[in-house]
Amino acid sequence: MPADTEKQVEKSARLMELLARTALADQRAFAELYRLTSAHLYGVALRILRESGAAEEVLQESFVSVWNHAGSYVSSRSQPLTWLTSIVRNRCLDHLRRREVETIAIDDDEHGMTIADEGPSPLELLLSGADARAVRNCVEALETGQKQAVALAFYRGLTHSQLARHLKQPLGTVKSWVRRALERLKACLDAAGIVR
Amino acid sequence: MRLDAPDIVDSIAAQYVLGTLSARTRSRVQTLMRVNRQLADAVLSWEERLLPLSESVAPVTPPARVWAAIRQRIESGRAPAESPRSIWDNSRLWRGLAVVGFATAVALAVVVFTPPVERPEQTLVVVLAGQDAKPALIASADRTGRTLLVKAVAPVEVAADRALELWALPPAGNPRSLGLIPSSGVARITLPATADAALASVPALAVSLEPRGGSPTGLPTGPVLFSGPVQRLY
Repeated sequence: MPADTEKQVEKSARLMELLARTALADQRAFAELYRLTSAHLYGVALRILRESGAAEEVLQESFVSVWNHAGSYVSSRSQPLTWLTSIVRNRCLDHLRRREVETIAIDDDEHGMTIADEGPSPLELLLSGADARAVRNCVEALETGQKQAVALAFYRGLTHSQLARHLKQPLGTVKSWVRRALERLKACLDAAGIVR
Repeated sequence: MRLDAPDIVDSIAAQYVLGTLSARTRSRVQTLMRVNRQLADAVLSWEERLLPLSESVAPVTPPARVWAAIRQRIESGRAPAESPRSIWDNSRLWRGLAVVGFATAVALAVVVFTPPVERPEQTLVVVLAGQDAKPALIASADRTGRTLLVKAVAPVEVAADRALELWALPPAGNPRSLGLIPSSGVARITLPATADAALASVPALAVSLEPRGGSPTGLPTGPVLFSGPVQRLY
C-alpha cells in the first residue's frame, strides 16, 4: 500500500472512532473531530457560499447536527470525511437556494454570477482535485463544456439555469453537458473502483 | 418526479449531489430519500464518487467563535431524557456501538489475522463489543462455509432464566435471528447458506438478552448487549 493511501486509511479509521465516540456523547472526541476536520469543511463552505458569515453559520449548524446525529453514520456505507462533507455541502446548497428565493430571482442578477473568485478557478480546482485522487483521467476525458459545467456546479453550487447564463449557452445544451458528464464520470470512476 | 426507472433515480441522485437542482427539486429529493431506499443509496454512491473532488479546496481555519457557539449549543441542549422504549429503537446507541466495534475490529483484525503468508483471506469476522467498546464476542466464518464460530472473549454474566441471542441486522427491515449462543466458550452456529451468501447484505450483528429459549416473538425483545459490523478480510 503506498504511504499516502496508508495514511488516509489511518486518518479515516481515526475519524470513524471519533464519530463513534461522539455518537455516545463523548465531548472530548467531538472536540477532536472538530479540530481535525473543521478547516477542511470551512474551506468547502467558504468556497460555495463565498461569504464568511454564512459559511460560519453553516459550519456551526453542521457540527451541531453531527453531534446530534453521529449515530446515524454507518461506516460500511461511506467514508467519514465524505459523510461530514456531505452534511456541510448540503447545508451550503440549501442556504444558496434559499438565498436565491429570498432575493427574488437571482436569475436576473448577472452580477451575482460574475463575482471574481479568489484563488484557483473552479476548473483548476476540479483538475487538481482529480490530481489528488486517481481520477484525473476520468475528469480529463470530459469535453471542455462538460468539464466547465461540472466545475461550476460542484464548487459554486450553480443550478442548471444559472450555468446556462454563466456559460452563455441554451439551457438544454447545459443540461445535456451535465448529464453526459455525470454518465461518463460514473462509468470511468466505477471502472477505477472509486465506489465500493 | 418519476422514480420508477433506475436510471432516472441515478440521474436525479447525481444532480442532487453535484448541486444543480433547483430549490424545489432539492427539497423533494430530500423528502423522497427518507422513504425511497434506492434513491438514498444512489445519493450515497454519488457522494463517494464526487465529494473527493472537494479535497482540492484549500482548508481555512474557522474563527474561534464558531467552536465556542457549537460548544454552547451542545451543552445547553444536552441530555434530552431517553424515552424508556426498547433499546432497538435507539439507533443512535447501537449504531454508535457498531462503529466503536468497527474501530476495535480493525485493530483486532490487524493483530489477530495478520496472515503468515501472503494469500487472499477468505474469512468474515465480527467483533461484538458492548457499550464500553471492549470486545466481548468474536464471530468468524470461512466465506464458503456454513459455520459461524462465536467465541466469548470472557464469560458473559447471564441470569439462569435468560439467554443470549445472536441477530443479523440488515440495513432495512427486521433483525434476523441466527440462534442462541452460550455465555462462555465457543458456539457453532449453522448458517442457512454459505457465510458469503447468508451475510451478503448484513452490515452488522448484535446480541440481545432474551428469555431462556430465545425471543418468543422472533424479534429482539431485550436490551442489546453487544454489536459489531461484519468485516470481510477479502
